[in-house]
Amino acid sequence: MIPTLELINILLPFLYLLTFSAYAFDFYNEKRFLANSKRIFLFTTLIVHIFYLLIRTIEFDHTPITNKFEIFSILAFSISFSYFVLELLTDVRGTGSFIILFSLMFQIVSSLFIEHNYVVPEVLRNRLLGIHVISALLGYSGITISAVYGLLFLLLYKNLRANKFGLIFNRLPSLEILEKLSFYSLMIGFVLLTAAIVIGIVWLPSAFPDFSYGDPKLIGTAFVWIIYGAGIISKIAANWYGRKVIFFSLAGFVFAVVSLILTSTFANTFHSFY
Amino acid sequence: MNLIGISINHRSSPIEIRESVHLNRNEIVEFIPSLKEVFSDGVVISTCNRTEIFGLPSIYSISTNSIIESLQKYKPVAELKPEHFSKYFSCGAVKHLFNVASGIDSLVIGDSQILGQVKEAFEISDDMNFAGPVFHRLFDTAIKVGKRTIKETGIGEGAVTISYAAVQVVEKIFAGLEKKSALVIGAGETGELAALHLKDKGIGKIFIANRTTERAKSLAEKVIGEIVPFQSLKEHLHNFDIIISATSADNFIIVHSDILNAMKKRKGAPIVLMDIAIPRDIDPDVRKVDNVFYNDMDSLKIIVDQNLQKRRNEIPNVENIIMEEMIGFFGWYNTLEVVPTIKTLRNFFDQIRSDELDKLKNKVSEEDFCKIEDMTRRLIGRLLHNPTVKLRELAEAGNNIQKVTTNSIILKELFNLDLSQNDGDAIEKE
Repeated sequence: MIPTLELINILLPFLYLLTFSAYAFDFYNEKRFLANSKRIFLFTTLIVHIFYLLIRTIEFDHTPITNKFEIFSILAFSISFSYFVLELLTDVRGTGSFIILFSLMFQIVSSLFIEHNYVVPEVLRNRLLGIHVISALLGYSGITISAVYGLLFLLLYKNLRANKFGLIFNRLPSLEILEKLSFYSLMIGFVLLTAAIVIGIVWLPSAFPDFSYGDPKLIGTAFVWIIYGAGIISKIAANWYGRKVIFFSLAGFVFAVVSLILTSTFANTFHSFY
Repeated sequence: MNLIGISINHRSSPIEIRESVHLNRNEIVEFIPSLKEVFSDGVVISTCNRTEIFGLPSIYSISTNSIIESLQKYKPVAELKPEHFSKYFSCGAVKHLFNVASGIDSLVIGDSQILGQVKEAFEISDDMNFAGPVFHRLFDTAIKVGKRTIKETGIGEGAVTISYAAVQVVEKIFAGLEKKSALVIGAGETGELAALHLKDKGIGKIFIANRTTERAKSLAEKVIGEIVPFQSLKEHLHNFDIIISATSADNFIIVHSDILNAMKKRKGAPIVLMDIAIPRDIDPDVRKVDNVFYNDMDSLKIIVDQNLQKRRNEIPNVENIIMEEMIGFFGWYNTLEVVPTIKTLRNFFDQIRSDELDKLKNKVSEEDFCKIEDMTRRLIGRLLHNPTVKLRELAEAGNNIQKVTTNSIILKELFNLDLSQNDGDAIEKE
């Protein structure tokens, strides 16, 4: 099955590129030739990707979360999959290119550097770890999508306030929809991130002898969780609107990315498997 | 084709003239009898921006000037001169009618109302027995052009009026208007148009404020809304998600501090302010307040201009549709030329068949006669099938009229056909 894996591994970035191009073309082009068919591109890409992840799981007998590049591939899949579900639920079709771009980037890096033969540490074969990592990745996909919609909200907000009626004005959905999409993605991301944290708290102490609650990665994740929690409370309890809520979404995303990079690169953490 | 069209429109004459010449439904009904003196078929299309007369002359010596004179006679307008009219003939008249029906000849390109007006004009003529088969086909095609234009091109898309552009901006801020409330300040023509657009878009609640309460009440009734007293307007601003102002006030009626107070009460919930008045009604400084979306005439005009340009870009696509439909129409029309020949030819053969059958009638049994009758009918049908089809195909193609005419003449000469026998039903083939 390795040749099939290698083939799909090469194919996937091209499929994401094709899907991204279809969405971008539809966004920039007035004629809307691909208004409906672009969804078929995305669906096909997701089917091929899920097939790839399945045969990888069967071939190596573990969930494909055991190295950075497998994680990147799952992130690429989960971001596009979450967007696909969101598009089906809301029928807002004009924003795909901004989100699929992230999947494309993650999949390119994954396909370039992923290896098909390596030794997997025993701790990474644990089922709880699989659930922990997958819920965390889906959570991060949620907050990524939330941040993208947040950014689009700010773009349209600025355009409207400056009376600029160009591409952004013509193509994006209304501010209210963008805010809702950003908030719903944030909610889903937050719930999944919470699940990942709870599983982590239950499982990590028994799996790692050097476990510590003072671990930089855990503290970073806790801060991210608090930022998003505050954003959700401000929206639900204080009835905040627009830029104020979007601020939490963007701040949480930036903090999450920076803390992940810093803790993975510089900090001495038990929570680094790869 | 000897179709004649005369037109007085925004390119050929000033608005005062167009308004003076405008004929309402009753006037068209009264005017048509005088057109019947010179036209066998005719249609009069008249809107506030154009008056068009199309007709098939029943006499060969008719000139467009005589039609203009009869119009002037019916509706005298001192300033009206022949140069205010555009004149079209034959193919040009058909193309002009299709241009009108598609909206590309309108003052506001892509105007969708014109199609309904063309339809209505034709119905008036049809009711007055002033539209024969050719005009039926011509106007059916014109209406088809209009419908295809709307369906297949973007000629009618986007806001091209200030009040509609205001609603378009509102739709970019709020997802749906069903749960929103709007206040329209000013019950004049612009205010009314904006209120009607909001109502069409399904606004949840609509309120009208006007200095004259009666006018506010009248507009509120029209849009199924409520009124807000003009004097206490500022106390109510926080209740509205959308405020459209279109009064003729000389000074600002809503200032920065009014909106600051309203936003405090709204706890920062967004508010859209559309100032479509000249001079402006709302202090433009309000745009500095967070979550306040302010637009005035200048900014809304940007949208209108963009949309008009987009519509202009669609004109080549509309022209393609017009060309396709013209080919179809003239294909049909050209067959009319050969119908009398085909009909006479068939009559000629039927007559021979009938004569020969009469000779046989008393010489054979009834049963045998029926068989011979059937057989001869089939025989004539098969003999004439090929020449009939070929002649029609040649005519429908419309690209070799000379050949069609030559073939018709040969047939007439060979069989000594007399076309006068079919004059009455020459174009009944449809």
